[in-house]
Amino acid sequence: MRQIIASADFREGFAEMLPACVGLIPFGLVTGVGAATAGADFFAALGMSAIIFSGAAQILASQLLAEGAPLAVVVLTCFVAGLRFLMYSAAMAPYLKPLPARWQNALAFLLTDQAFAASIRRFDAKQDPHGGALHFLGGGLALWGCWQVTNIVGFLVGNLVPASWSLDFAVPLCFIALIAPVLRTAPAIVAAAIAGFAVFALAGLPMKLNLIAAGIIGIVAGTLYDFARERWSAR
Amino acid sequence: MVSSLTLWAVIVIVGVLNYLSRLSFIAIFARRSMPPMLARALKYVPAAMLTALVLPMVVSAPSLPSLVSPRVIAALLAGVVGFVTRNTLATVAAGMGTLWLLQAVMH
Repeated sequence: MRQIIASADFREGFAEMLPACVGLIPFGLVTGVGAATAGADFFAALGMSAIIFSGAAQILASQLLAEGAPLAVVVLTCFVAGLRFLMYSAAMAPYLKPLPARWQNALAFLLTDQAFAASIRRFDAKQDPHGGALHFLGGGLALWGCWQVTNIVGFLVGNLVPASWSLDFAVPLCFIALIAPVLRTAPAIVAAAIAGFAVFALAGLPMKLNLIAAGIIGIVAGTLYDFARERWSAR
Repeated sequence: MVSSLTLWAVIVIVGVLNYLSRLSFIAIFARRSMPPMLARALKYVPAAMLTALVLPMVVSAPSLPSLVSPRVIAALLAGVVGFVTRNTLATVAAGMGTLWLLQAVMH
């Protein structure tokens, strides 16, 4: 363990992730506030950030639980929101293939949007799977640690902030920061537009099922548009 | 308030499902490549799912009067900043700053 932490690759990965950690501070804080709003106690809030380790899933779970949605709907909605991890997993798999199983299992836990981006860059830059894995571990642990601290601070102090500050608005803003950069292709814009329309059109559905229904409709719309565009341009 | 049993059930089940999604092609389906159809559909998960999640937080109802609110204006501006900078902190700062400014002006 000491050897790992002492390695230059681990330290480099850790240090390179620090700017991304700073960027995640507002997201971590509002996620912690969300856990408090849902009525979680300190250990449950820590459990959410330490075990789920995904802002989107944690905020979804907090909001759906606070609104009284049943367990199955909460789990299903969070699962669909987490499906993007399949994409990261598939893209990361070839790089992790030469590593022992316990490294694969550990690094998979630390696979997040930010760690994915930083590690792929590193694996591509140097043909060194072991160094890349250490780099990934350093960056992933930096993110995980920062996530625990910001979540707990949000959980503890969130409710002390006066309502006039409208801090709750930081929640949609954090998601907008994730959505806006991906709206660069026509199918992604179609997926977002159709999902946005559907979430209001289906607002009458019980148990907040409109969220997951609109999400799936948007994914299907984007995929179909992607195929149609390909067919059309192939002609 | 949510019972602590329900909350812990959510933590464990969502935690395990998230981990399995992360582990999927690294270990569980390591010998298979992803079906092309699935790969294509997964590209649109963030855009669709997160938009469905965000819009009801910003717009109370899809009617014209509710579209002209400080929150909608601040969210649109934050969207532009996020699109251009790809930076979370800048996006959140732009949105919160706009909201506070509009709320101060309107008071």
